[in-house]
Amino acid sequence: MVKKVFERPLSWIERVLFLDFIKGLSVTIRHAFRKTITTHYPYEKLTPPKRFRGFFGHKVVNGKEPQPAFDEWVERFKIKVEAGSSRCVVCMLCKRACPVPQLFEIEGEKLPDGRRKVSVFNMNMMLCTFCGFCVDACPVDCLFQSDIHETASYSRKDAVLDLETLERIGRDWQRRREEEPDRIWIDDHQRQRLWYENQVNLKEVKG
Amino acid sequence: MEGVVAWLVITLIKILVILGIVLGIGAYLTLVERKVAAHIQRRPGPMVVGWHGLLQPLADGLKLLTKEDLFPRYGNRFLYNLALVMALVPATLVFAVVPFGPEFEVFGIKVKPILTDVNIGLLLVFALGSMAVFAIALAGWASNSKYALIGSMRKAGIVVSYEVVITFAVMGPIILAGTLSTYDIVQKQIEQKLWYLWLQPIAFVVYMFAMLAETGRVPFDIQEAEAELVTGFTVEYGGMKFGLFPLVEWYIEVLSLSAIAVVLFLGGWSPINIPFLGFVDPLFFLGPLSPFVWFILKVSLLFLFVLWLHWTLPRYRIDQVTETAWKVMLPLTLVNLVLTAVVAPLIWR
Repeated sequence: MVKKVFERPLSWIERVLFLDFIKGLSVTIRHAFRKTITTHYPYEKLTPPKRFRGFFGHKVVNGKEPQPAFDEWVERFKIKVEAGSSRCVVCMLCKRACPVPQLFEIEGEKLPDGRRKVSVFNMNMMLCTFCGFCVDACPVDCLFQSDIHETASYSRKDAVLDLETLERIGRDWQRRREEEPDRIWIDDHQRQRLWYENQVNLKEVKG
Repeated sequence: MEGVVAWLVITLIKILVILGIVLGIGAYLTLVERKVAAHIQRRPGPMVVGWHGLLQPLADGLKLLTKEDLFPRYGNRFLYNLALVMALVPATLVFAVVPFGPEFEVFGIKVKPILTDVNIGLLLVFALGSMAVFAIALAGWASNSKYALIGSMRKAGIVVSYEVVITFAVMGPIILAGTLSTYDIVQKQIEQKLWYLWLQPIAFVVYMFAMLAETGRVPFDIQEAEAELVTGFTVEYGGMKFGLFPLVEWYIEVLSLSAIAVVLFLGGWSPINIPFLGFVDPLFFLGPLSPFVWFILKVSLLFLFVLWLHWTLPRYRIDQVTETAWKVMLPLTLVNLVLTAVVAPLIWR
């Protein structure tokens, strides 16, 4: 059954004295003299929450890898572990999980001493939907999504993240935010921090 | 001979001053409007060009001037351009009969700060006000666009209804003053020690509503109606030609009608009024400048009030707008007129 709801009609006194107008006007005048709530974007920028799904990065080996998973994968694939470079074990699980797998271009190389390491890791951001499935799939907490969100570029080529860029984003992230508690609601002082703290210089945009 | 030369020079100076003030301030009112709207919505508004966006109108003007001049296919080029002239000229001409202050003396010459003190000034104002409908009808017709035509038809309907209402609304102050000259109406209010607002509150409210309707301000901006008509009759105009219509409608006309409202109801350049007792002037320290400051202050307050209304209220439908005019406001003004005509002679004669 449809329930009909009618607005209360204005009373005689309300009509004559424009009380409904005055109510609305008082609301707007109160707001007009309050502080503005905007961020003056190109000049001041907010830091997104830690779990923001922005550009991708590779966390580097720094002794905080998830154990025992990391050691197991390293042993299984005979990966050369080097402090300060990518944790990637070339398991291809990220590519498996991806809804657009062709955006990944992953290759490993065999070193002279018989161990292996990742040599090529390209992600084409033109195809990416930022769904985060690859991050969930990563068994060694290597691939992750950072708070880098200003990703415009002049050419399609600049939208491809290569291994070096991914590692740089990862190092920067670990320096800035690894210790930060993993909040969902970030409306406290963390949110007031500004974007400039990151030192990732993405590829120069050549006009 | 010398008198004629002096008169010519003074008139020329007056024309230049008035044109400069009207067009310059008209451009800067866009910034005022954007700031007011922004703060009502808790934004800072334009902040980048100049200190707090002070140079924004110049940047906007430059951008509009350098844009390509588009013309709709199968439009009528003559009427299309004529509409611009018809919009700008009457709206600016209204300022010819707006008195900015009392008579003063410079170098032994008495100067009235009003361009032409014709004895039927108010009639001129409303005659010119009705001319606005031609501009809008022509603009809509010459654009060869359905949206523009619908917009201009709506505006024509509104202006026809509200011209009647506004004319009857100002009848009250005219009866009280016994003259149609804008300068004399203010003089009468000062002599009678009475702002006509105190005796004509209904007329004032009706006048404000009619002013909103004539200038296409918010509760009655049905000819713009961005959501339905894009922007009404200005759809097919581009560049500065597009910029001119809102400039005329939203700023120059609001300004001129606010000035007329101040002259009619708020005692022109007189300071704060205590009915029948006299005037209190908190700005006495400005000396001879005080009346001008009062006039500007009143006009700008009225203009800000219009902006405040604009950014608060939602929009009426076209049938509600015309219904209000014919069924509510016109009877109200008629009653007001009869009451004034009966009461006024009892008080003053």
